[in-house]
Amino acid sequence: MDFSSLPLLSITTFLPVIGALVIMVLRPKQTKTAYGIGITFASLTLLAAIMIWIQGIGSSLSQVEELSWIPSLGIAYRLGVDGISFPLVLLTAFLFLTSLIFSAKIKDSANIFIQLVLMLETACLGVFLSLDLFLFYVFFEITLVGMYFIIAKWGHEHRKKAALTFFIYTLIGSLFLLLAFLALYLFSDTNTFDIQQLITNPTITGLAATLTFWGLFIAFAIKTPLFPFHTWLPLAHTEAPAAGSAILAGVLLKLGTYGFIRFPLQMTPDAFREFAPYVIVIAVFTALYGAFVALAQTDIKRMVAYTSVNHMGYLIFGVAIAAVTTTTSGMIALDGAVLQMISHGVVTGVLFLLVGALQDRTGTREMNEMTGLLKTYPILSGLFMLAAFASLGLPGLAHFPAEFQIFLGGFDVYPVAVGIIIIGLPITTALYLRAIQKVFLGTLPEGFTGLKDLGSRELWAIVPLILATILIGVYPDSLLSMIHATTNFFGL
Amino acid sequence: MATDLLNISPQLIVLSTTVIVLCLEMARLPRAALWALVVGMLTATGVAVDMLGTDTTAFSTTFRVDALSLWAVIILGPATILFALLGRSELKDSAREGTIYSLMGFSALGAMILAGSGDLMFIVLGLLISTLAGMAMAAHPRNDPSSEGAMKYFIYGSVAGAIMLFGLTFWAGLAGTTLISGINNPDLSSYAVMFGFITLVIGIGYAASLFPVHFWTPDTFEGAPVSIAAYLSVVPKIGALFALAQVVRDLPVSLVDWPLILAVLAALSMTFGNVVALWQDNVIRLLAYSTIAQSGYYLLGVIGVGQSTLAIDSMVVFGVAYLLMNAGAFAITLGEGTRLDDFKGMGKRRPWQAVGMTIFLLSLVGMPPLAGFAGKFLLFGAAIESGYSWLAVVAILNSAISLAVYMRIVVPIFFQEAEDGQIRTYAPGTSFVWISTLALTIAAGIGVQWFLG
Repeated sequence: MDFSSLPLLSITTFLPVIGALVIMVLRPKQTKTAYGIGITFASLTLLAAIMIWIQGIGSSLSQVEELSWIPSLGIAYRLGVDGISFPLVLLTAFLFLTSLIFSAKIKDSANIFIQLVLMLETACLGVFLSLDLFLFYVFFEITLVGMYFIIAKWGHEHRKKAALTFFIYTLIGSLFLLLAFLALYLFSDTNTFDIQQLITNPTITGLAATLTFWGLFIAFAIKTPLFPFHTWLPLAHTEAPAAGSAILAGVLLKLGTYGFIRFPLQMTPDAFREFAPYVIVIAVFTALYGAFVALAQTDIKRMVAYTSVNHMGYLIFGVAIAAVTTTTSGMIALDGAVLQMISHGVVTGVLFLLVGALQDRTGTREMNEMTGLLKTYPILSGLFMLAAFASLGLPGLAHFPAEFQIFLGGFDVYPVAVGIIIIGLPITTALYLRAIQKVFLGTLPEGFTGLKDLGSRELWAIVPLILATILIGVYPDSLLSMIHATTNFFGL
Repeated sequence: MATDLLNISPQLIVLSTTVIVLCLEMARLPRAALWALVVGMLTATGVAVDMLGTDTTAFSTTFRVDALSLWAVIILGPATILFALLGRSELKDSAREGTIYSLMGFSALGAMILAGSGDLMFIVLGLLISTLAGMAMAAHPRNDPSSEGAMKYFIYGSVAGAIMLFGLTFWAGLAGTTLISGINNPDLSSYAVMFGFITLVIGIGYAASLFPVHFWTPDTFEGAPVSIAAYLSVVPKIGALFALAQVVRDLPVSLVDWPLILAVLAALSMTFGNVVALWQDNVIRLLAYSTIAQSGYYLLGVIGVGQSTLAIDSMVVFGVAYLLMNAGAFAITLGEGTRLDDFKGMGKRRPWQAVGMTIFLLSLVGMPPLAGFAGKFLLFGAAIESGYSWLAVVAILNSAISLAVYMRIVVPIFFQEAEDGQIRTYAPGTSFVWISTLALTIAAGIGVQWFLG
């Protein structure tokens, strides 16, 4: 099919914010109407994203849309996709839709909530589709504002502190990003903010390249997050409302990991290669640290949050491997890292939604206070176990093909590092099994009267994500072929 | 002579407008005075826009007609109108309301003269006109806090001005001329030039509320009417910093390492302003400390003069942005009240103003795509291009602190319940100011191309 006459990328990016404007103008009195509008626009966005797919994702950045913006500085409105950004666009559209469906129970200032979520979706899509540093930065920062208000208004007990910590911490990161972007602009021969040009012709060298690399590293390490920049994460994830946590873990962390691939790997490749050993040490430590700290948690939401840190460690390990070696093992690792972004988005997204459903029913997140829920909530328990198995890397589910490739690629170059990082797997297995045992098995305390099992609203949100988890696990090639075409094109 | 007069026609229009405004006030016609000010300032701004691109001098190179002096008119003309409207909202029917308008005009004229200084005497003259008129405005309510504030402003001003004048005599004596370009001579004595420069920074820094000559700022702002505080936070500051840019353009780095001196001052101003602002419970004092910090950011542009292609652009864009977001934030403070507690529950009470205030504050932090971001983006670029990357790092860390400062206002707006008490109303002038500056804060951020040379 040919939609080439339509600016599909811009349509995809701005459909959500148009939905927000519609709500702002109509000011629906019924929360149902408001959610109806929000979900409609989120669905249309997903549809538009699928149309981009049908149009064909090239191995290089394609479907470029360009408009003049600030010509004096070489800044323009430029959008485009390749095999790395498109899976993330799809994930974003998908996860925002399901999160919005899941949150339809939120009645407090629902109109504003939906508008913020839609604004956040536009910002996230914009980040993945931008082909201009300036535009990228604009979208990158807007995500912070949107998420701050979502956590601060609709979060749990310590929401204000969590929101402010998140905002200030990640703002420091993005400001380093701003400096790095300015350095890329000022010290490249072409004096441009055009991402395509900066990738095809990375002219920044020497000390400037080193400083730029570390600027980018700090920015994305805070966002991803890597140890020791992760301290904002558990607080923000735990205090955010369920849908907020799902979006935060599923999509916002990917802004950091996507950044690692798009900027340091592609724009300062030599500096990244030089410092890759340090990055690998940090990544390995992050993965193990995340796993061990997750093991120590009694709050189930915090536990899931820390497993994110663990998974991000694997992911950055894969990217760093790709920075070191130009052989096929580098490519394999990078393929795995990109797939890991999608797997983690889907799996952790659904885990946070399930934890939210659990908290709605039991009124607590403490695992010690929950037991024997399997009989009362068979569907919820079954889906949680499935998602937990996916998260710990069971073959046939989403994380396995990704992590397998990362370790496979890494083994060729740093076998010892792989040997160490792989310790994370049994630990996450242990912690999930322990959580399942505590929360779902055993006998229900007497007199427990909770709500019913998952309702249709929750199922509509959770089941598609579970299906995606299985699909990626069984048939990873659905995404991998697209990813591989692009990583292959990188010529690593 | 005729071309000279033509070249300074924007300033001449401002001068004659101000005289007319003063006459109308003598006739006790404050409304007419306000309108005369609006028309005159708009005319001057229009003429200056038409002259953009001119780069020449007037009166034997004592006054420079260039991007800086023209943009000063384009920024400060509308600024004066906005603050006069705020003044009308706040001081309507007070005794001698019209004097405020003529004093605003005079002070703006002083700032415009500063911005085009090609001669040391113009710097002295501009600084005096600009700040003396400001003192009279600050004392307008004639109560204890305002008198105290105005007195501090006056005493600081006299001392700083005297020191500057003393130091500048060294420059004039060395160079044999009072022209700024006279200092552009590598054979001069480095120590004497450095001494002159430091005294100049004291004089300029006083008007721009730079650390360590900022001490008058919070007290004067708190005592003065809100509209006057808003005026003082913008107009003399932009004039003074543009004057500083005019001086360093001609100052050889070999004689005095002025970028380093300014960089240290910038770092201190930013850090001091932001950190102290964290403890303020009065919104006006908080904004006063924030202007000290913003002056520090502004110096990044001055440091770039002669070394970065972005320097002048960054000063212009940040000037525009600073005017818009500061005027907006002060306007809403005028409408809501000056205590942090007055902002409680505003999100429910007045959702539009609440969103507006949030946008002004986020713009002050430097969030894209708002005007403040465009300004800081260029300022950081100028600093990096001039080899002051460490200063850019200090500046971004300060931006993070400033987020904590401004969030202290945002949190009560959205997340705290209103206290019982009477709710203030917005005068039409106040509404006009915050709505127009809000629209322009967003528009200037996206349409920044228009301001680039």
